[in-house]
Amino acid sequence: MDLVLLLGFTVPVALAALGETIGQKSGVINIGLEGMILAGAFAAAWAAAITGSPWIGSAAGLIVGMVLAAFSGWFTVVRGADQVVVGTALNLLSLGITGSLFRMKFDPTKTILKVTKVPTLGDFVPWVKTSLPWMERLDVFIVLTIFLSVFLAWVLKRTGWGLAVRSAGEYPVAAEAAGFSVVRLRMGALLIGGALAGLAGAYLCLGISGSFAENTTAGRGFVAIALVTFGQWRPGWVAAGALLIGFLESLQFKAQAAGWKVPVQFLLAMPYVVSLLVLVFIGKRTLSPAALGQPYRRSK
Amino acid sequence: MKKVLSSGIGAVAGLALVMFFLVLTFMIFGQPVGASLKAMYVGSVADWNAWSKTLVKMTPLILTGLGAGVAWRAGMYNIGGEGQFILGGVGSAWLAKMVVFPNLALGGLTLPALLLASMAGGAVWSGIAAWLYLKRGVDVVIGTILLNFIAKYLIEWTINGPLQEAKHQLPQSDALPQAAMLMRFDRQHDANIGVFIAVIVAVGIAICLFATASGYRLRVVGASPSAARANLIPSQRVQMMAMLLSGALCGLAGGLDYVGVSGQIGIGFSQQWGFLGIPVALLGGLHPLGILASGAFFGMLFAGSEQMARSSAVGTTLIYVVQAAVVLAVVFARGIERKVLPQVEAEP
Amino acid sequence: MLEVKGVSKHFGALCALDHVSATFLPGRIHAVLGENGAGKSTLMSVLAGFLVPEQGDVVFEGTSIPGGRPAECQRLGIEMIHQHFTLVPAFTAEENLALARTSQLVSKVDPRSQSLEALEIAAKLGWDIPRNQRTSELPVGVQQRLEILKALSGSAKVLIFDEPTAVLSPEEAEDLFRVMRTLRDEGRILILIAHKLSEVLSVADEVTVLRRGINVASAPITDVTAQILAEWMVGDLPPMHTEKRANRGAARVRATGMSVLGDRGETAIRDVKFEIRAGEIYGFGGVDGNGQIELAEALVGLRRPIRQDSLAVETDRDIGYIPQDRQHDGLALELSVRENLLLTGVRDHRLRRGPFLRLRKIQEWSRKLIQKFSIKTEGPDQLVKSLSGGNQQKIVVSRVFDQVPEVIIAVNPTRGLDIKATHFVHAQLLSARERGAAIALISTDLDELTQLSDRLAFLSRGELVEGEGSLALLGEGSPS
Repeated sequence: MDLVLLLGFTVPVALAALGETIGQKSGVINIGLEGMILAGAFAAAWAAAITGSPWIGSAAGLIVGMVLAAFSGWFTVVRGADQVVVGTALNLLSLGITGSLFRMKFDPTKTILKVTKVPTLGDFVPWVKTSLPWMERLDVFIVLTIFLSVFLAWVLKRTGWGLAVRSAGEYPVAAEAAGFSVVRLRMGALLIGGALAGLAGAYLCLGISGSFAENTTAGRGFVAIALVTFGQWRPGWVAAGALLIGFLESLQFKAQAAGWKVPVQFLLAMPYVVSLLVLVFIGKRTLSPAALGQPYRRSK
Repeated sequence: MKKVLSSGIGAVAGLALVMFFLVLTFMIFGQPVGASLKAMYVGSVADWNAWSKTLVKMTPLILTGLGAGVAWRAGMYNIGGEGQFILGGVGSAWLAKMVVFPNLALGGLTLPALLLASMAGGAVWSGIAAWLYLKRGVDVVIGTILLNFIAKYLIEWTINGPLQEAKHQLPQSDALPQAAMLMRFDRQHDANIGVFIAVIVAVGIAICLFATASGYRLRVVGASPSAARANLIPSQRVQMMAMLLSGALCGLAGGLDYVGVSGQIGIGFSQQWGFLGIPVALLGGLHPLGILASGAFFGMLFAGSEQMARSSAVGTTLIYVVQAAVVLAVVFARGIERKVLPQVEAEP
Repeated sequence: MLEVKGVSKHFGALCALDHVSATFLPGRIHAVLGENGAGKSTLMSVLAGFLVPEQGDVVFEGTSIPGGRPAECQRLGIEMIHQHFTLVPAFTAEENLALARTSQLVSKVDPRSQSLEALEIAAKLGWDIPRNQRTSELPVGVQQRLEILKALSGSAKVLIFDEPTAVLSPEEAEDLFRVMRTLRDEGRILILIAHKLSEVLSVADEVTVLRRGINVASAPITDVTAQILAEWMVGDLPPMHTEKRANRGAARVRATGMSVLGDRGETAIRDVKFEIRAGEIYGFGGVDGNGQIELAEALVGLRRPIRQDSLAVETDRDIGYIPQDRQHDGLALELSVRENLLLTGVRDHRLRRGPFLRLRKIQEWSRKLIQKFSIKTEGPDQLVKSLSGGNQQKIVVSRVFDQVPEVIIAVNPTRGLDIKATHFVHAQLLSARERGAAIALISTDLDELTQLSDRLAFLSRGELVEGEGSLALLGEGSPS
């Protein structure tokens, strides 16, 4: 198996899951992740289609992800609304907006929108193609994801912000007593989650498929949410879980090539079935942040 | 009387809110407001043809809305209506394959049996999620969402495999004979008596929730699991029952689609009905009669949006935007209400 | 010097502080004394900057403190040691200390070196802190030491202790007082919020008494006696007297060597023996966290004793249960008054027809209860969350007594209630006793226990100690 190709499949889920990990560590479960990825993907594809630059596209994805995160955070963090309700509404909103804009702005008869892909190592350094063919498809996003899976773990463990964010997710009263604003900590964490979700969406279009289609995310956001529990809220493990999901996703292509006799739907369902099975085996002894999903209101 | 009046005001306010966001969405997306509203009207209630479409769409919305409502009332965030809807269709189609096509004589029992099979199918799917939560601690939201995707591939597999039509050409099941389907109001239209079933079920669920001891216990468990425990109400059992009922309702929605409209299952069997039931339930205030009203209303909007899609690039997806906006507006309004009524300690 | 000048604060119609003035001096331990609801906690929240008073001013070292900005007050050196700890249970002791010392978001955190100073202070105070253990696994006493160390790790000049002994054993409390004296002698201002007279008399240098939001008096401790303080606190309210009864009926509850496990699998109740007879109130005293909840839940049937036959409850009716935490266990706050009353009524055959509820009958019945127990509410349809604490508790109490239970388990039934509501609950318990109910009164309020109980025993680390001599367990005698 081509390792770099496998990493490519891993990146969108991994980026989104890493962002969700930060959010959940601060006590916010972002059910709207799927919608943020989808909106990021659409924004990235649109911007890239207009400008012809995958970089501007990626930036657009990131920004839209953050805007949605701020919007949802205003409800859940600032106003203390139910996180599941707001997240569900956000998914619907994103599905509706991207679907409508896609049909309005682009020829409705065409079901997909083609865009320029993010350049890979092979494009920059031509000799890689011949002498190191397995490195050819390496790109910035893959490197970024690997970096983040280590860096974010360090941030959570070893910086003031990380310590404060974890306390906001475990026991918000303690964060406030230490002089931090739980609202600001959670908003910050959510914004990082939104940025990474936007990037994940951008990579879906600009890194993997080179195109946008309606509902192109196909549930990756939900898998990413499951991955956070799966990886027990540790960025490294979450990324490793994403690698497993990426591997399962790539299985269908392998199966086609090898001519396996397994119904293709079984392979397609594998990422979801395996996620569920892992959660079943992890069982109740999870290291879930104690205040996860609970709105915080300052008592007076 | 005061109560009836206030809920009437609530309904009018809700209606106004939806209309407001509908117009706003049209404007934001650059649609001609007048023409679009007219298209919505023509497509939903202008004539019997339009009404038929509205009735067909409101049936699954009411039932999946009720499904979401019952589970959420018990504190179980069932997001799995979509999967349970699909399993309902698969359940009926499977039973049809077993008894209808081999011409086993069930007589008048065929339809009830098919619908029961759909409820069983949905209940199995929600039951799995409930079991995973209660016994293994798997979050209901995550569990039901993952099961949605698994259901999606499960139905794709069955229509390419065990339930595929006898000709083995297209990925779909054999069509039910007209005789085995729900009675339609006329031959030209899809509208059928399924909508009555949905209304009756809504009233039944309302009675169950508000006039029986079991329904009362369900609401207590949802409102305060700890108070339920202290008063010897078995929360786990209540939550399991609520989830089974919820899945059965979503499954029934799928079953009614199968025996009432499509007559077969294929790719795209559910058009997000399970998912759309959640905003319907939220806008109905998680109250069965509220859900009945909001399901009927959104049935109109979805039917109308199809008419709109004929003359414009956009259609159904715009209604998603409206739904989401209204849900967020309601969430916003609740926040205000909470601010107005702070909890005051002390003072006898 | 920390001065409070004419501070007033209202919550809705309730006046929590009414032109309160006081002066707190360095090198002294100041006690602020008062009953529940006298305004002590409000005053402390004002001092620490959590609340902004409507009138008046708090002046520290010549300048007004920045009210409403507790973080800035902390920077000035005003630290609060909260009754409900502000420790993150999932963090290690080190991490919690580091959190208190972290003020910059963009900074490197090293729990080991950042907790060093606090641990040195701990060593000086003679405390041994297991630095790498999860905080939730530490005993309560050690958690409180962490809470104090958090406050000390800054340049604390004012230390406010909010009911610090509520969760401590007598030895732990004694050690705390020793540390408080040490901290005082280093020239700090120490403020102790308390409602136990014996505590105040043994550790404080100055005392300020609050009653219903009014500063009744301030005096050096040498000028007062327990008698005087008690009068200042309670005012001229006639104390409730009850006659102890000797003519008790047959045993309704019998525990014979019962042991019960707690939530974490620890033995919370160890081999207790007692019987409660019809027509008596059996009081269980002791400091919180000594097995009270587990004992109550075992008696009610929510928790199984380790040996099934070690507990026998003889009654044909439902056991009446008044749980400790009314907002958590007693009520569903999002439901209406009627629906909360129905929590016991739902098993009442008069209110049901098969699986169906007799809605009209229930409405009538809840109106009757509201009237009979004078619950102040707009009606059965009002949501319970908008009622006051006293009226919320009346709902719990009224629905229990409505079923005329033969066995009643009441856990801290008057906690957080004002005097009128407390009288109401006590009167209900006494009248239930009169008609022959067997009542287990599990309480941390010694006055309540001595007033109501026919027999009294104390829970200490899950074991039961009977008789008057066990009063010593509370670390204090009866105040008057």
